[in-house]
Amino acid sequence: MNRALDTENGASDWLLLERVVRKDESALAALYDRYSGLVYAESIRILRDGSAAEEILQDLFSQVWRTAEKFDPQRGSLPGWLLVAARNRSISRLRRNHSRPNDELTETSVVLPCTLETAVAQNQLLGRVKNAMSSLPNGQREAIELAYFDGMSHSEIAARTGAPLGTVKTWIRTAMDTLKKELT
Amino acid sequence: MSASHPISTEDLELLALGVLGGEECQEMRTHLSSCEECARNLAEARGRVALLSLAAPAQNPPPDVRERLLDKIRSAEIPAKKPAPARPARSRPLHVPARWWNTIWVPATAVLAIATVLLWITDRRIDEQLRQLQQQTQTYEAQARRAQALVSMLAAQDTKTVSLAPTPRVPTAWARVKYNSRMGMICYTGDLPAPPPHKEYQMWIVPMSGSPVSAGAFMPASFNQGRLCMAKMPEGISCKSFAVTVEPMGGMPHPTGPMVLTGAGL
Repeated sequence: MNRALDTENGASDWLLLERVVRKDESALAALYDRYSGLVYAESIRILRDGSAAEEILQDLFSQVWRTAEKFDPQRGSLPGWLLVAARNRSISRLRRNHSRPNDELTETSVVLPCTLETAVAQNQLLGRVKNAMSSLPNGQREAIELAYFDGMSHSEIAARTGAPLGTVKTWIRTAMDTLKKELT
Repeated sequence: MSASHPISTEDLELLALGVLGGEECQEMRTHLSSCEECARNLAEARGRVALLSLAAPAQNPPPDVRERLLDKIRSAEIPAKKPAPARPARSRPLHVPARWWNTIWVPATAVLAIATVLLWITDRRIDEQLRQLQQQTQTYEAQARRAQALVSMLAAQDTKTVSLAPTPRVPTAWARVKYNSRMGMICYTGDLPAPPPHKEYQMWIVPMSGSPVSAGAFMPASFNQGRLCMAKMPEGISCKSFAVTVEPMGGMPHPTGPMVLTGAGL
């Protein structure tokens, strides 16, 4: 591994974004290497379509390239925005909704409760999320997955699972409560 | 949550998760558009919810996606760095007689444009109808699965029935619970008066050890008149007793309100 690569791997998102603003391709490549796996895994889980997930991944990083100067690191984190925008666009595509979600870098602020800047931090968090999800009772886990990865509302989940609406609301609220305690 | 910030952290997370209905969302968005503190809290709620994406199975994009991305941004930059020299303006006569084929292709283009728009509108309608039909099919399938599961449970030899007795708060109330621990299913029916405003009833399974487990929140409208409430329960749980309490709308993770019905398990 050469020295330049070491520097990029150790640079903060904020420093890399500053270089992207100055149209430094290697900085965009470093951000891509850092977050493309998370974004792609999320999109492909929602869409179950590799080429559609690739398209969303390319669109998002192209948008970072074009509009990086609009991003305010004081108001949110880049990986947070990437994950939220990838989910919104994937669900929109899943539902064949032709209008693009409003997810400009300036419009959607996302504050992550932890850093994802290093591979070690990402792997640790991946393990914690998977453990937390597997600790949920079946009904709660299914409801949360239908909400997050299929973009379903309370009533749509009730219709899909056959559970009463009140039960679905309880499942989601309890699951969010448990996950919050496990992950923050 | 306070009078000036009426949205709770939990509700902001539900909004970020996208599970709320249109009316609830609209009320929150109206407040969020004018409250910086709640908007900041929403950004934090979005971050907590976004962590759920890490539950997706790990997948890396194919290596050529990175190369295509970098090629794309390079090709987009070239015209910006080297703008093409402006062409000298051609001198054109002010009054050029229209060529004869203009009389054909101009209307033809207009017709094609209109046809394209109409086709696009039709395509969107068909997409929407298809989505609704898929949703209906899923609902019917879920109902059929539910009915099948209910029949299996009622026919099973190890399904048990418990009658719940009223507490002095609602002396005329009653309910009957059928449950099967092996199949992890519970259903109940009965009669209860309307709960206080902004409240619901919630059914609880009290296990031999540990805290009560929710078996669903419900309104009397879905409970009396012979209708059943059906829910999943933890498989293999040993039920000491059952209870119904009055809880806030949507139910609670643990019982907090007064008990209106109770009965011992078998």
